[in-house]
Parts: sequence; structure tokens; C-alpha cells
Amino acid sequence: MIEFQHVFKSYGRGRNILADINFRIQPGEFVFVSGPSGAGKSTLLKLIGGLEPPSRGSIYINGHRSDKMSARARPYLRRAVGVILQDAHLLYDRNAIQNVLLPLAVTGLAPGQALSRARAAMEKVGLSGKEDLNPIEMSGGEQQRLAIARAIVNRPSILIADEPTANLDEDSARRIMDVFRDFNRVGVTTLIASHDRGLMATYTRRTMRIDAGRFSDTQETP
Amino acid sequence: MKRWLYQHRYALGVALRRLGKQPFSSLCNILVISLSLAVPIVVSSILDTAKPVLRQIPVSAEITLYLDRNAPAGEARRLGARLKQEHRDEIEAVEVVDRDTAWKDLRRRPAWAEALAVLPDNPLPDAVVLTLMQDSDIANTTQRLSLEWQTLDHVDSVQVDSAWVQRLQSMLDFLSVGLWMLALGVALVVLATVFNTVRLQALTQREEIAVARLVGATESFVRRPFLYLGALTGLISCVLATGAAWLALHPLNIAVSRLAQSYGTRLSLELPDTLSLVLAGIVVAILGALSARWSVTRNTRF
Repeated sequence: MIEFQHVFKSYGRGRNILADINFRIQPGEFVFVSGPSGAGKSTLLKLIGGLEPPSRGSIYINGHRSDKMSARARPYLRRAVGVILQDAHLLYDRNAIQNVLLPLAVTGLAPGQALSRARAAMEKVGLSGKEDLNPIEMSGGEQQRLAIARAIVNRPSILIADEPTANLDEDSARRIMDVFRDFNRVGVTTLIASHDRGLMATYTRRTMRIDAGRFSDTQETP
Repeated sequence: MKRWLYQHRYALGVALRRLGKQPFSSLCNILVISLSLAVPIVVSSILDTAKPVLRQIPVSAEITLYLDRNAPAGEARRLGARLKQEHRDEIEAVEVVDRDTAWKDLRRRPAWAEALAVLPDNPLPDAVVLTLMQDSDIANTTQRLSLEWQTLDHVDSVQVDSAWVQRLQSMLDFLSVGLWMLALGVALVVLATVFNTVRLQALTQREEIAVARLVGATESFVRRPFLYLGALTGLISCVLATGAAWLALHPLNIAVSRLAQSYGTRLSLELPDTLSLVLAGIVVAILGALSARWSVTRNTRF
């Protein structure tokens, strides 16, 4: 469950990037956050992922108040939330499977178990057989799927993605979205920031629209 | 516990990979530290060898009082007895060498006999040899008494026989203090070099650190490979420094054994004992890790 209560976010004394945001996302929901560029979608996802603190308000992730968490506790919250940023943030000094292994090393999983789990994650996103490739040798869509494999390998209960299909061709974008849908079907709460209306119409059940830092509407799609 | 061990194994692997990734830079840093470390190891070897040798030399200070030739007969014996009485806490033994006995002894030696034969009479004075008791302030006691006795009636000259040993002891004490200061200097070299290495590594690994935090790494997880990097740098440097010191002792030993042979003895410089070297390695590794921690904490605030 994700819940925002009167959340504000600003940088320094600048204007509010997010202003008085209130919403609740139930476990297992598939939600799109839509809005124009600069509306505050990425900031919203960073607040959910615990990558940044809010300026005001309360944020609850899986029942825990994340904005009050100590710096020591915050990494454990991040393990429960798989984050995929627009730039895949892959490490090019190692191969694909080593990128996926990093979150498992963080948790201290036994190397043998970690390897089989990383292979399984790569298989789920359709990257079987590409374990030894350097990410730089992969297409944009494959890199994005590799980032998804890295985000899901720790079996998070929440998956958030910021414009995961930006700069991808239609086929690659659909494959990426199919991956998200599959994870959502097994109960992973999925939240995707996008301004691709076509994509939203195809996949979403709920869309939260954000504009100039405020929610302008919430639309439920059957 | 197992997870903790896996995390440490991972951190060690990352540290080794980072060391191997920039071999030239890593080697330069290690060489700087190891050469700095080799100097105190060599000095320590010299001190460790010199101190026992010095202990074997009779270091009891002796003061010899030479009386003037006009001193009345028996004055040397009276003076010896008087000084023994007045300084019973400071004098261990008194030996009176009268001029006739000394003259006879000297003439018995073939090397001197011919030269002494041409002298019309005995030129030697009566002498009183006073052996002082050992105490921690022996150098000052010797100096004080020799100055005091210089002014005594019938005393022509005073000779401090063991002054050179005292001077050598003082020099070794000075070197011991110098060794500690050198060790402090080397510790600063280790701290500064590791700090800078880790600072550069942290800047190079910025992306990896950011990604690790993104996927839930704790700050301990981020810091750990850098701590291993610092400790490994220190440890490898210490091993190389021991090797360099061992090599440096070879030419020094040739010179020292030549010097020792001229004194009819044998002497060779040895590395400090294994326990001391192992302890030094541990201390340097800890210093490296501490410096790395300081550096990584300062340079990964992004």
C-alpha cells in the first residue's frame, strides 16, 4: 500500500514541485501517473522510492511512515520498492548478469542462490542468453528490461518506473509494458509515470493525472 | 551471520577488482607507502641489533683521578678511602694504583719496555680508580663527581673512562625517540595516501555507489569495499616494505660485519622479529581502513 497525506515537495525556497498531494494505492494495483513534462511525476516516484524526502506531509509505504524513517532504515524500504528510472542507470564495467546480481549482493544472498535468482529475473524479462553481454552491447529496450530485472530480482512488493518506454520503438515499449503487467498479475503494486496516452489506454486500470505539482483528476479505467 | 560473511566476501572481491583495475596507480600508491615504511623497519633493525651489543659492553662508569707527582706518599690511598666514605651511595669500588706498581706493569710489556728504558725516572702519577654504582642518572652523576673531584687537593687530572659508552647509549636513546617520530610520520603518509586513493576511487565509482543506494544498499555496504581497499593497500605495502628492508640490510650487513671484524667480534643486522612485523602490518592495515572510512564518508555525500 502507498499513501500520501498532504505531501509537499520543493527544493530550497523555490516553488512547490508537488503541492498538497493526497492519494492511496492499494496492494496489487496497476497505476499510471500521467502529466506533461515537468509536472512532478518523477519527483512523486522519487518520494515513493525513498530517494528524496518530502518537504511536508506524510508518506506511508506498506504501512510504514517512510518520511520519518531514519537514514539507517531507509535502505530497507528501498529494497521493498523496485525502482526503474528513465535512464536505466546500468553499470557498464560489468556484464548484464552482474548488474542484476548487485541488489542480491546488497542483501547478502548466498552466491549460488543469487546467481539462479538473477538468471530467473533475466528470463522473466526476456533476456535469457544475454547474461554475459555488456549492457552497452544491448539495445535501448533490452537495457530497460535489464533495469527491470535488476529492480525485481529482490522480489519487491512495489514496482515504480519513470517513463520506462521513452525513446523506445512501439514493439519494445509493448514488451516492456507486458513485463510490468505480468509482475502486476502476481500481486506486485505497479506505478508507472508516463505521458504516453496510447500506452495508458492499453494497459491501465487507474490513471492519476498530475499537472504543475497538483492532482487534477483520477480516472478509473475498467 | 552467513549473509554478513557473503557481504564481506563481496566487498573484498570488489576491493581487489578495483585495485587490479588501475594497476599502475595502485602500484604507485603501494610503493610510496612501502618505501616510507621500509625506513623505520631498517632503523628498528639497527636499534634492535645495537641495543643488546651495548648491553654486553661493561657500562659501569669509571673515574680515574691522577694525582700530581708532588703528592705525599700514601695520599692516593687516603683519598680513595675518604671518597669511598663520603660517597658510599655512589661509589661501588675503589682501586688505588700507585705509581711504582703502574711503572712495573708497564715495563713488563715488551712494546713499552724499550721506550721506558730511556727515561731517567718514573713519570707516572699515583692514580685512584673509582667505579660508580649504576643508576638511571649515571651520566649526570659521572659529570657532577668528575667536576667536584677536579678541585680536590693533589688531584692533577680527572678522566671519565666510560663516557663513550654513555654517549653511545644517549645516541641510541635519541634514535629510539627518532624512530617513534619516524613511525608517526609514516602513519601520516599512510593516512594521506590512502585518503587520496579512496577519494579518487569514490569519484570514479560514483555511478556504482548511486545504483547501490538505489537498490537498497546501506552506507556500510557502500563503505565496506573502500575499507578493504585501504586495509589491503596498507597490508600489501607492509609486506613489500619488509622485503625492501630485508634487501637494504644486505649491503648494510657487509659494512657492519667489516666494522665488527676490526673489533674482533661478529655482528649482523636482523629484521625485527616476526611478531613485531605482523603487529606492524595489522596497525598499518587498520590505519589504512580508518583513513579509507574517513575519506569515503567525506567523498560520497551525493
